[in-house]
Amino acid sequence: MKTITKSSIIFLILSIGINLNAQNIDIAKGAELWADTCIRCHNVREPADLSKRAWKYSMNHMRVRAGLTGDETKNVLAFILFSKTEND
Amino acid sequence: MKSTIPILAFAATSVLVSINIQANDITVESLQQQIDVISQKSNSMQAQLESNEKSGFQLAGYASFGWSDIQNGSNNFDVVQFSPIFHYQYSNIFQFEGELEFTVDELGKTKIELEYAAGNLFLNNYMVFVAGRFMSPVGQFVQNIHPAWINKMPSAPLGFGHDGASISSNVGIALRGGLPKVLNTRSNYAIFLANAPVFEQGDDGDTIINTEGRTTSNGASKTIGGRFAINPLSSMEIGISGSTGKIVETLTTGTIANSGNVNEKIQRDYNSFDVDFTYNINSLDIKAEYIRQKVGDNELSNLEAGLWKAYYAQAAYQITSFKLEPVIRYSNYSNPEIKSSQVALALNYLFANNVIAKVAYEINSADNQTAIAEGKDNNRMLAQLAFGF
Repeated sequence: MKTITKSSIIFLILSIGINLNAQNIDIAKGAELWADTCIRCHNVREPADLSKRAWKYSMNHMRVRAGLTGDETKNVLAFILFSKTEND
Repeated sequence: MKSTIPILAFAATSVLVSINIQANDITVESLQQQIDVISQKSNSMQAQLESNEKSGFQLAGYASFGWSDIQNGSNNFDVVQFSPIFHYQYSNIFQFEGELEFTVDELGKTKIELEYAAGNLFLNNYMVFVAGRFMSPVGQFVQNIHPAWINKMPSAPLGFGHDGASISSNVGIALRGGLPKVLNTRSNYAIFLANAPVFEQGDDGDTIINTEGRTTSNGASKTIGGRFAINPLSSMEIGISGSTGKIVETLTTGTIANSGNVNEKIQRDYNSFDVDFTYNINSLDIKAEYIRQKVGDNELSNLEAGLWKAYYAQAAYQITSFKLEPVIRYSNYSNPEIKSSQVALALNYLFANNVIAKVAYEINSADNQTAIAEGKDNNRMLAQLAFGF
């Protein structure tokens, strides 16, 4: 019974938060977040380290691990893609 | 290297924001041209972020190879570890992530463990629903710092490895994500509900809290817990986390007391608490964490209840011009049977930010005869080559 109560609380919170609007991407904010957030745990990986496609998956992984919002994740990804050269 | 952070950050922000530096040379037309270029590139970014490619797969991970020379012991190439991480993504709503850990033991046999395997459902801007086996949100070292290419030492701090004071993984569900800024401060959260951990005697006879996430709660109520962290300054995070519930023990002939029966499952009270801190300023990286798990009494068992606690503080400084990084770490671990501490010094060479060679020396001490007899106070020289991919 206790477990059901706990689960209900979690799913209630879950259901409240759906459908919040996302903002447009902001490359400058992405650059700032990239410099501030990644280094908290690990050495920064340069944009050239991964392919564009790999960066998309890695950023979703980091959204979960680093506690980023969806918008922040998109901004960081946009900055990384922006920073990659044609040959990366 | 690290020097690229400010360069790239400056490049992006300066193009977008600060064109005032050479204001006298700028015409309206040239400014418009720059805006058009940025606008086109921004639209291109948007298109890439919202590409029609609905699903995809990525192989990431890390590996490490290590050597150690133990005081009063032998020296061996004693670590071969390969940890592939699989990411599968469907559109922008779901991502599966799973990590395997392959290691080789003294007999040459390969050991495989599933570190985590979880589905992440991106519900909205601030909320990700996680289901499966996930690294415990309690604390930071185990969840985010332990991979060999991230950990600045070739070893984990005392008590932050398997069967210590830290918590490994959970099987259950979680909600987590970033929160809206309050007073210009970012923050993030995680809450979870998971199967109960197990209290038992390890292979070496030590009493341990087994926190490897398992697919049964053994009839005990679930563990509920979470973490909340704030970023008061750039590159700084302060987190507080914990959990509460029951822990399950299966009575054996060696642990039974009073009127219990062999193989009977009994429950004890259980809770955990953790505070973590990380700060990176210029080339100086500081990390610290305190964790404790508390197990309550049960008169049917003679396994000793009490506190399993550990803490560490670490400072590392990157000398980028030489690609060197000296590191110092103090760690301390205690449980009802043992108290131990360690000072570790390391010098790392960064071939790249994700390809690192480490040499370290650990000065270990322990305060009881059993631990000393097991060699837990022996100093160690360690070397490791680690890389992330």
